[in-house]
Amino acid sequence: MDDEAPPGGRIILHLDIDAFFAAIEQQRNPKLRGKPVIVGNGVIASCSYEARRFGCYAGQRLSEARRACPGVVILDGCEKTYRAFAARIFELAREFSPAVEAYLDEAYCDLTGTARLHGGDFLLAGRRLKRLVRERTGLDVTVGIGSSRMVAKMASKSVKPDGLFQVAAGMEDPFIRALPIDKLPGVGRATSEVLRRLNIRTIEGLRVLSIDHLTTLFGEPGRFLYERCRGRDTQPVIVREVPQSISRETSFHEATIDPAEISGMLYYLTERGVKTARQLGLKARTVQVKIRYTDSGSPAMSRRLCAASDRDEEIFELARDLLGRLHTRRESLHGIGMALSHFLIDGAGQMDLFDPERGQRLDRLYASLDRVRDRFGHSAVVAGKSISLMGRLEQDGYGFVLRTPSLTK
Amino acid sequence: MRVERIDESVKVRADFQGGGITPLLFRRGSQDYRVSTVNARWEDREGMQKLLYFSVTATNGDLFQLKFHAGDMLWTLETVTLDG
Repeated sequence: MDDEAPPGGRIILHLDIDAFFAAIEQQRNPKLRGKPVIVGNGVIASCSYEARRFGCYAGQRLSEARRACPGVVILDGCEKTYRAFAARIFELAREFSPAVEAYLDEAYCDLTGTARLHGGDFLLAGRRLKRLVRERTGLDVTVGIGSSRMVAKMASKSVKPDGLFQVAAGMEDPFIRALPIDKLPGVGRATSEVLRRLNIRTIEGLRVLSIDHLTTLFGEPGRFLYERCRGRDTQPVIVREVPQSISRETSFHEATIDPAEISGMLYYLTERGVKTARQLGLKARTVQVKIRYTDSGSPAMSRRLCAASDRDEEIFELARDLLGRLHTRRESLHGIGMALSHFLIDGAGQMDLFDPERGQRLDRLYASLDRVRDRFGHSAVVAGKSISLMGRLEQDGYGFVLRTPSLTK
Repeated sequence: MRVERIDESVKVRADFQGGGITPLLFRRGSQDYRVSTVNARWEDREGMQKLLYFSVTATNGDLFQLKFHAGDMLWTLETVTLDG
């Protein structure tokens, strides 16, 4: 935690891409503009503002969304394209700020110390950034500016879509206290419902509850709510993102019970997840596998590795074991996923006691493999364990074309 | 709305002025399609090679996606989006 604010205070800009996936689809296809559009498979990943007017929301089941909004256009989506748009937008944001912490559809930009660069007018900087994003990508973004990440995010949330708002220094408390409870970061549908039952509807109302009440109600996150409803957030903008977890999951093109296909897909997802961890310089300590049966039920299981690892083989060995324990019914699978968590920063791992050279050889192997794939695309090398996917799935430079890739946000 | 994959190499007449690329016309088989609007453009990479994507509407109203492989200077007609 960075408790020391620089003289003049910290300035954080929060940038949020409005209705991200759906907006890109509307951009790519002008016939979709002005129409309710949903991107998702099984559940809504993103929906246009036209669809939201019918009560559609992210996470909602598609069957429900179809009932709520007859005639809605539903698209599978293309994760690769969305990432390309996001990368372009965050590249533009880096022209405004030296420190940008980017997620899939939002970013925090630390503007502290850039007053001279922006002529002392951060609102104008926000307006310029919005205009630049619109010109270069055709997409609308909402920008909020405040003295902390939380205030900046709440500012942008309060003026979505296509809005721009700055909470002036010293005005944080009056701004926060009157807002509805669901505008507070960390308050989702479930938390909001519990608070509503207690007749707490504004952030000011939440301040009545003690830290003990909040931790009893919500566990550890209750502590954050206690601090946040008082406007306290000193979390700095972290350029190097250390995620809570890295997950990769997908649906099969057709439900399958073929062990080679299931295991091949799990290996491929593991390879992709572990490569991301290596790129971030992280070693995972916990591996989770989940499967989705065609009838119903999505069991998941996680376990700790003996030692933190960033090697495909070691993580897959555990993942395959978990898969064996999970897939116990003679029922085909609709989808599969894996997740890595409890990361150690690279270099903090444990050395192999009996054969330290083996570990070094493997590290060199994976480093070379990553370089080849960075240069020629992931499909340049297909591991034997996922060779069963060849011929079943199309390949492009990015890798196998999955039906519904779902990545860590 | 239906997206059909084509993945065919096509000849494209494009404007390379001002540091950007704008496809103007492409030929698929013996038919020419004149581009009326470039709806969206984005960049991606295949390894170290830069790929440029264009969503374009032809003058006949059809919607296509073109890909330009900057490494080998090849154009690919990736998809056509059909109504219904």
